[in-house]
Amino acid sequence: MLSIGGQDLFVLEFGDILHYFSPYTLTLFLLAVLFTGLAIISRPEEQIEIAFGGDAYYAKETTLPEMRFRRFMAIACGLASIGAMVSGDLFNYTLFTSMVGITNVGIVAAVKNRHVLNAAYAYGIVAMIATLPLFGSAALIVATTGTLSIPALAAGGQAVPLVGKALLVLGVVGEGMAPFYAAKAEMFRAPGAPYVIMCSLSSLLIFLRVVEIVTTI
Amino acid sequence: MIEYLVCAAAFGLLLLGIHRKVIARIQMRPGPPVWQEILHALKFSFKSTWVPRTASATLFVGIVLVAIAIWSAALFVVLAGESILILIGIYMLHKIVEHGFGLSSGSPYGKFGGVRSVISAASEIPLFVTITAIYFFTGSLLLRDIVAYQAVHGPLLLIVPPAAIAMYLVILSKLPFGPFSIVESKEIVSGYKTEHFGVWRAALAVTDGLKTFVLLYAFVLIFLGALPFWLILALMTAVLVSLSFVCAITPVLSPYDSVTVQSIITGLMLAYIGYLWWVVP
Repeated sequence: MLSIGGQDLFVLEFGDILHYFSPYTLTLFLLAVLFTGLAIISRPEEQIEIAFGGDAYYAKETTLPEMRFRRFMAIACGLASIGAMVSGDLFNYTLFTSMVGITNVGIVAAVKNRHVLNAAYAYGIVAMIATLPLFGSAALIVATTGTLSIPALAAGGQAVPLVGKALLVLGVVGEGMAPFYAAKAEMFRAPGAPYVIMCSLSSLLIFLRVVEIVTTI
Repeated sequence: MIEYLVCAAAFGLLLLGIHRKVIARIQMRPGPPVWQEILHALKFSFKSTWVPRTASATLFVGIVLVAIAIWSAALFVVLAGESILILIGIYMLHKIVEHGFGLSSGSPYGKFGGVRSVISAASEIPLFVTITAIYFFTGSLLLRDIVAYQAVHGPLLLIVPPAAIAMYLVILSKLPFGPFSIVESKEIVSGYKTEHFGVWRAALAVTDGLKTFVLLYAFVLIFLGALPFWLILALMTAVLVSLSFVCAITPVLSPYDSVTVQSIITGLMLAYIGYLWWVVP
């Protein structure tokens, strides 16, 4: 399959499920692996904050249980991103994408701070609503074409409805938009750069992959 | 392979030096010598290097290596004529790298730089609808196909000028001292770069050089096609000087204004894509 990401390098088969590696998907896959590795081996930083109304400053520390949970969520988020980058099945891609949304909520929601928890709540609602167009797109595409295999759809035998592609993009925007939505509260108030970075990275990766998918199928 | 990296980084740093010199001359200042950025990179290589006590040490160091790795990959993508979608992916991932640089130190200045990087991504990324305009005409996003298309039909600069303007603005967004340089503007010291000193800063300078070279080289190839190498270098310099003029006469916008202006441009580009979709058979 010649996609806009370049000629396929190789295809990894799990039964009837395909994972294909083009120069584009391989690049995204390697970056997801790299940042997941960084989330595993890095410890959180201590954010320096200026005390309001004075010239004192203090360092915020992350407790061990919080660090463990956020690291677990960051690793899960990384694994979901890895799956989404190379999946050759549209339904699997939507599953991985929704998992990215859930784990992103987890990374944020573990912080015991009112502002951050408010952001996580709003964040969770956006991600939850976005699953409707996300899975709806997969349902619509399988109903009209009879397949969810990206290589089969890319072969051009069946016309993928434009509304199916639009819903897919909308769903991914919803799942991926959540970190932008929560960015301010989360990043300003909560330490934990190796985990926060997974929120941004996973969202960006699913955006980049959906561009390739909708232009290929 | 390594010689390509060294030459590209050195030429990119020279371009950044020219950028500073042109800005200074327009502002009636003598400015630094054009090789100042190369000297900076060398100087930082021999300065003392440390990791702040508050930093996430692994991420603090690892992100520097990631920055070099992604722009080295971008250089080879362009040289190999591979998909410009990969180049765009790398450009976007640079936002994550800036974010990582900023947050990993624990410094409030770095943190603000990192957050601004993510916020500005929301407006900068959609500028890449420019590739849709290119795809309408070339039917491919492989750089070698785009170059081949221009050999037959003429430069894309004349066929899709709005796309060239959008890409020009994308490059402008990444240049220092520009109107959209909110991630490293002076009110937050050096933004995401603030705490990276010594060898880390030297590596960051090399990354900046590579990034400048890759973006300008890709711009010339995508919109003007295959030309003699010396002419490509000359055109890259000319594009950069034009960008320097823009940077010299415009202030750094506030983060809100920066995102608003970029979003308006993105809206105009989307309208143009809609127009193309309507009229191109």
